[in-house]
Amino acid sequence: MIRFSLLAGLFALIVPPLALAGEYDLTVDRVKIDTGEFVKEGIGYNGASPGPVLRFREGEEVTINVTNNLDEMTSIHWHGLILPFTQDGVPGISFPGIPAGKTFTYRFPVVQSGTYWFHSHSGFQEPDGAFGAIVIEPEAREPFRYDREYVVQLTDKHPHSGDRIMRNLKTSADYYNRQQQTVGEFFSDISEQGFMTTLRDRLAWGDMRMMKADVEDVQGFVGMINGKGPEQNWTGLFEPGERVRLRFINSSAMTYFDVRIPGLDMTVVQADGNNVQPVTVEEFRIGVAETYDVIVRPRDAQAYTIFAESMGRSGYARATLAPESGMQAPVPALREPARLTMADMGGSHVMSHGDGANMADIDHSGMEGMDHGNMAAMGHGEMNHGEMNHGDMAMMNGNARDPFYAPGSGLTPTAASGGKFLSYADLRAQQPLYEDREPTREVELRLTGNMERYSWSINGVKYEDADPIRLRYGERVRFKFVNETMMTHPMHLHGMWSILDVGADQWNPVKHTINVQPGTTVYMETEVDAAGQWAFHCHLSYHAAAGMFRKVIVEGGPESMSSALDSVNATAGGDL
Amino acid sequence: MRAITLFAATLAMSISTAAQAGGSHGGGHGAATGQPGQADAVSRTINVVMHDNYYEPESVSVSPGETVKFVVENRGRLVHEFNLGTPAMHEAHQKKVQMMVAHGVIQGGSINHERMNMDMGNGHSMKHDDPNSVLLEPGESAEVIWTFPDDVSLEFACNVPGHYQAGMYGEVTSE
Repeated sequence: MIRFSLLAGLFALIVPPLALAGEYDLTVDRVKIDTGEFVKEGIGYNGASPGPVLRFREGEEVTINVTNNLDEMTSIHWHGLILPFTQDGVPGISFPGIPAGKTFTYRFPVVQSGTYWFHSHSGFQEPDGAFGAIVIEPEAREPFRYDREYVVQLTDKHPHSGDRIMRNLKTSADYYNRQQQTVGEFFSDISEQGFMTTLRDRLAWGDMRMMKADVEDVQGFVGMINGKGPEQNWTGLFEPGERVRLRFINSSAMTYFDVRIPGLDMTVVQADGNNVQPVTVEEFRIGVAETYDVIVRPRDAQAYTIFAESMGRSGYARATLAPESGMQAPVPALREPARLTMADMGGSHVMSHGDGANMADIDHSGMEGMDHGNMAAMGHGEMNHGEMNHGDMAMMNGNARDPFYAPGSGLTPTAASGGKFLSYADLRAQQPLYEDREPTREVELRLTGNMERYSWSINGVKYEDADPIRLRYGERVRFKFVNETMMTHPMHLHGMWSILDVGADQWNPVKHTINVQPGTTVYMETEVDAAGQWAFHCHLSYHAAAGMFRKVIVEGGPESMSSALDSVNATAGGDL
Repeated sequence: MRAITLFAATLAMSISTAAQAGGSHGGGHGAATGQPGQADAVSRTINVVMHDNYYEPESVSVSPGETVKFVVENRGRLVHEFNLGTPAMHEAHQKKVQMMVAHGVIQGGSINHERMNMDMGNGHSMKHDDPNSVLLEPGESAEVIWTFPDDVSLEFACNVPGHYQAGMYGEVTSE
């Protein structure tokens, strides 16, 4: 025992007692983005897209001077960082924005560690390239080990500008949907399923103003990793036997990626910047704006392909881990695109079928499957010895259905290798961030939209017509997301953590972005511990812009914040 | 008291896992790993603290043939293992521990001893009773007495799923 208290004492001496302060400069610039397939004018930081990796240290007071070299307003939002709302960078909510030609200085203490990112919150500058990575080194040692690390920042670069994409979507929502079902598919479905079933199926989908192929509403992009297209092949070097930490960040405008590295298991150690109990997988799906940190250990002196297929299989990003630059490994073929099923319509409340189409098998009980009852099968709750057999344990082996997808969903992912695919249900906080307590109230947010008009909303109301969501400082709110649309929505609350309910109570993982799959209900809880006003929105760029967005006002809290609120609201203009 | 009962449990053992794992990976490991030691032969006590998810210290050096008493204490909030073996033995053992998690024997911060003793058929249970290892809940401690061979190249490792892969292991080398 004496030995250890001594050691602990020595450790305390190593930690620098002085407050850290760092100053950083960013310029916002027009840049050229070369995907290898096309070159496109876009927006970047310090002359490039993606911008630099900002490296902070937990406990540091940062000063960041942002100079706007564009001829339009800009802003930077520090995605996932806990900071005073005036520094959060959302025009019209946090501050007025940064006018053309001006410099704005952000100042905030860094109170967390992990992998995050930053991006413009103005117009479509982010899809046009205005993003970069943030890496924050922790004060204490990490609960895992690695010999080297790389940021792996994904994006979906499109040849059209964000403004043009939005105009086209508004004109014709299926403008970028290249995988529409064909007449040929209609007839092959008839031969497989019979005429009436096929016809009913199509009628039902028509009622939804959706098509089965609406997994991705913006196709035609090139997947990029760290600014390199698949042919340009970003490469990270390693020595065989080393442990390599990969910090995956999905900075896409619209695209979910299924990520794997054939030949390597990946041990997930962090999700959205927060440590999770390590879970080893062969593949994972990264939603827009999420981050996952994984550790891999390539033992052989060979190249390995980092392969990130888009969820709808319309494109991919590719990079390489290799002992020497220039080496490469085979690039897998894209798998067959997913098709939405009737189960993915399960959340829709707009269905009315005078034609007698058989909707009985759309079982709403499936949504209750998200609740704790189902989590018991994860080996966490009560388990009856008598019922226990290896079949029940299929989830642990990655074969059973993922409770975060509707039963029978066409989107449920499976690993290309047949091995373990990460589920939200696998995520457990490494260390609880908050004391577990009962929520003070529940707020229901129905995710709603009309695909044909490309209108997206919350509780049926677009941002411009909506009242803010009012929370009280000190409460713990349980948010209930009910996805009534056919698309996956990555919901991002600024300023406060989103504690995802996976049925693990105090071990529920702490995130900043929560995916809500079609036909499902997902709960998250938030400790309302940050005064001021914040943005809360779907992180798909064109969904947010179309109105799936809310302002959240936190009432009460420290006096200094309420006076800051008054002054921001007196000056903040802007449209978002 | 807790530590004592646990220590007793670890002595009620079968060495099957270690022996099989060693044997199935090209042989030679059995000889190189050493064997359970006698208390009166202990030349040194080494304290090892388990944190979430790493050990302190992360490497240990022993003399040829030395008998060492490891006093292992779990100061984390999760269940951890201290297991002496070769990387191949750890890899084999991880499947067993994965099963223990799948069956609710290990639940984050606690061990369900009732489930651990459950009959898995064919005379197998999920008892964690090999002499080269201990499985500890937060706050528990236990001892492992081990006599090392002359030439040592071993790891002490936590085979709770994901922990080894995340880096929860240390090296044992010859002085």
